[in-house]
Amino acid sequence: MKKAWTLLLAGMLMLTACSSNSSNQEGSSNAGGSDTGAAAKEISIWAWDPSFNIAALEIAKAAYADDNPDAKINVIEYAQNDVIQKMNTGLNSGTTKGLPNIVLIEDYRAQSFLQAYPDMFVDLSTHINAGDFAEYKIGPTSHDGKQYGVPFDSGVTGLYVRTDYLEQAGYTLEDLQDITWNEYIEIGKAVKEKTGKNMISLDPNDLGILRMMAQSAGSWVLKEDGTTPNLADNAALKEAFEVYKAMMENNIVRMHSDWSQFVAGFNSGEVASVPTGNWITPSIKAEASQAGKWAIAPLPVLANQPDSVHASNLGGSSWYVLNVPGSETAADFLAKTFGSDVEMYQKLLTDIGALGTLKEAAAGTAYEKSDEFFSGQNIVADFAKWTEQIPNVNYGMHTYAIEDILIVEMQNYLNGKDLDKALADAQAQAEAQLK
Amino acid sequence: MRRFWNAFKYQRLFTKIFLVMVISIIAVSALTSLTTIRMSERLFMKTFSITNSKVLYQIKTSIESFNYSIVTAANNILQSGSIKSFLTEGESDSLTVAKTYYSMNQQMKRIQSNVDAYEVGITLVGMNGRNYATDRTYFTLSTEELKHHRLTLTTLLEPKRLMYQYYNEKSAGGEGGEPLLVATKALMERTTGGIYGTMYVTIREREFKQFYTNFTSEGNDVLILNRDGIILSSNREELIGQTSEELVRHAEEINDTGLDYRQAKVFGNDSILVADYLPSYDFYLVNMIDKNIALNQIFDIKTIVLICVMIVSAALIIVFLISRQITKSLTLFVRRMSNVTKHDFGNYMNVTGSYEIRELGKAYNYMLDELHAYIDRLVETQRHQRNAELAALQRQINPHFLYNTLASVKMLVQQGSKEKAAETINALISLLQNTISNVSETITVEEELANLKNYVFINHVRYGGRIRVDYFVMPDCMQARVPKLIIQPFIENAFFHAFNKKEEGFIHVLISSEGHTLICEVVDNGDGMEGVSDNTLPNPKSKRQLFTGIGVINVHERIKLLYGEEYGVTISSQPGEGTKVRVRLPKETD
Repeated sequence: MKKAWTLLLAGMLMLTACSSNSSNQEGSSNAGGSDTGAAAKEISIWAWDPSFNIAALEIAKAAYADDNPDAKINVIEYAQNDVIQKMNTGLNSGTTKGLPNIVLIEDYRAQSFLQAYPDMFVDLSTHINAGDFAEYKIGPTSHDGKQYGVPFDSGVTGLYVRTDYLEQAGYTLEDLQDITWNEYIEIGKAVKEKTGKNMISLDPNDLGILRMMAQSAGSWVLKEDGTTPNLADNAALKEAFEVYKAMMENNIVRMHSDWSQFVAGFNSGEVASVPTGNWITPSIKAEASQAGKWAIAPLPVLANQPDSVHASNLGGSSWYVLNVPGSETAADFLAKTFGSDVEMYQKLLTDIGALGTLKEAAAGTAYEKSDEFFSGQNIVADFAKWTEQIPNVNYGMHTYAIEDILIVEMQNYLNGKDLDKALADAQAQAEAQLK
Repeated sequence: MRRFWNAFKYQRLFTKIFLVMVISIIAVSALTSLTTIRMSERLFMKTFSITNSKVLYQIKTSIESFNYSIVTAANNILQSGSIKSFLTEGESDSLTVAKTYYSMNQQMKRIQSNVDAYEVGITLVGMNGRNYATDRTYFTLSTEELKHHRLTLTTLLEPKRLMYQYYNEKSAGGEGGEPLLVATKALMERTTGGIYGTMYVTIREREFKQFYTNFTSEGNDVLILNRDGIILSSNREELIGQTSEELVRHAEEINDTGLDYRQAKVFGNDSILVADYLPSYDFYLVNMIDKNIALNQIFDIKTIVLICVMIVSAALIIVFLISRQITKSLTLFVRRMSNVTKHDFGNYMNVTGSYEIRELGKAYNYMLDELHAYIDRLVETQRHQRNAELAALQRQINPHFLYNTLASVKMLVQQGSKEKAAETINALISLLQNTISNVSETITVEEELANLKNYVFINHVRYGGRIRVDYFVMPDCMQARVPKLIIQPFIENAFFHAFNKKEEGFIHVLISSEGHTLICEVVDNGDGMEGVSDNTLPNPKSKRQLFTGIGVINVHERIKLLYGEEYGVTISSQPGEGTKVRVRLPKETD
């Protein structure tokens, strides 16, 4: 009988022992994908524009995979605004959770991130050589002597024009080689008259064209220090405002409210010219039926600005590595692809028309080819030529904050407000806001 | 086999007890476990349905507040004059258009702040061909395609309603694309009822999922389906886009009947369903719990079974040992008892085992003792009785014998043979003298021979000497002791029955010894008999010639009674050749 009790007791003990460890199994398995140290082989990249940046990434990914087959690179596409918003949210909250390893940042905004969160970005000075890239890209991508960004696409601008419309209006490409914006408007009026097409497509909420004009004259909405607003006494900006209003008043502007409408504008043949960054090339060429009808002229200058040149920059962005686990792999990826791979740049240019800023890449064969779409024009050489002329300005930290103010004042100006008053108001508001 | 059966036969009691115990122990433990599991299952369901209803309520709340933001955004869009003019006005000069675009854009920025908390894109398409999108990545459709898309057509059927629809580019024929939920509403001029555009608020399914993914886990799934049963959103991605009419039917019933939960087989799994209706979406929100996974988390079936098996086997071992012990002595007891008749009631019990068994064993042994004593007494009594009978028989001197003998003597006297008459009288006297003494006494072979000779002499006197009697006795047998009148009946028998056909012959009496056995043979060469096998001589029909009451029949019995089974009489006979009687006796001397 004693035996029996012992057995029973043993059974009870087992019972309690067994039942206690069944519920501890869950949890602890939901760790993120990239939390496994700096050398994690899985990295994520945020970028926008599938036909350009994302496509470039895919090429880089393929090039990198040849040597690093076990690296897993996740490319995630977001709209640029979303990238900015998510970055701000993540960096503001002070956690790196949910942030990618590599992010594409537009040069205009780069400083606002680099200056605000220098610790969150990885100094890539040891991985890449800043001297390998176009001079004007170094300013926005570095901070405090450290090279944080791997410069990517060139934002060098040109005036894309429909030669067929020009001819109808009585002009040739030659006539556009050295013009002012005022002359551009005159041509636009003629084109509109002859063809019914608008000369240019603008978004009233995006003053990119003003930035182009300002930079071409070596001026910017911020002073050299990058923080002081430079609006009220900015002659270049003032003239750009006047040109803008003149375009509107001369009724040569088609409106768009977003990128796809913008692209649709010239793809459908509604617009005769597109003054913008060279990154538009793939979008222009996307409409194959217009082959031979386009040419690229130098950007017009501001008539009253003696410093104004036929070259400027619009947009352009660079890659940054965030200081989150996996940064080693991420930096290595960038250094071996966008940071040095000349061959890859040839492919970028050939396949998607992306013009990089790696100087060495310009010596490649793809950069010497003339482009049949543009009637045999060697656009790469032209862009390279213009790139050298781009005045270097400090984009500073507040480019877009000031642009928001300018957009409002532009409307006021269009509605009849005195230009000096409008710019003075903008200056005051910007100073108050950015203090 | 037989041995096994025997073993089993005696184990029947044990087998029965053990079987009953086995069955009841297993039944009890199985039933207890089952009932417990059932009870906790029911408890789980109850708790589950309460908590999950609350979870669903919470999900519903957040989804509803999402809806509220969209409704607000939609109302703002509807009320905004600048948006309306953007979507209605015709082409005019750049400046005017720029203003419209500008103010529309400003307006939209404000409106978008309503839904900033969610990752949504707002697309507006106007009847004048203009359109606006906060984020173009949601739709890859062109504006024209969108205008004629199912989304738009369905919306225009009910222009006053804000409706939610499922959109997946794959279904539209494009490739790739991810599932979207699109809130659509026709933009309608309130006073005239004219529709001037359509609003689309798109949210990616993977964003929409965020409203509930925190509440899900493996086996605990949330699904959102529309009335057609199309699964619009779920944490289980493989289900998105599938149609499950049964699920929507269950959801409807749960909702209509106000059930807390329902158990059903969905997607091949036994599931517990909790459902709620999202009126503003016209969707069903279903929480589907895979019963097996959920219950497995509660019950470690393996452990329960293991414990049950352990307890049961422990109990069985104990029961086996105890019942074995109880029944073992009982079985032995029964086995002994069933063999009680063998071995002359000599199967005594070992008095072992439990108290009850010991007492029973004692009583049994006592009973056997009593039985033995009784039988012994009975045997003794019968022997005495037999002896008395024989003694009585022996003393019965047949009156006919005396009468015949005396008649013969009278004849001798009349004939003048005084000598012979005196001899005859002497023989009769010594015969009677030896006979009428104590029957149990034994006499020597010599004395018995004297008796025989006297008897033969008397017979010769009476019937003449045509039957000769010879005696052959081994000298060492002379002093052996034999019961009285043990041979006389056979000589008597031979005299009166063996020579009915033959006129004359002889009778040999041979006495010899073989070891310790005395063998007396009476051999005649008379008529012989047929069919002598049972060691008995035919009973004489009349007692007239007999000397005493002891007949040949009694001799055999008498010897056995006196000396035991191995002694007795054997008779062999051949018709026409004679009879041989052989008497075996122990050779006893003084």
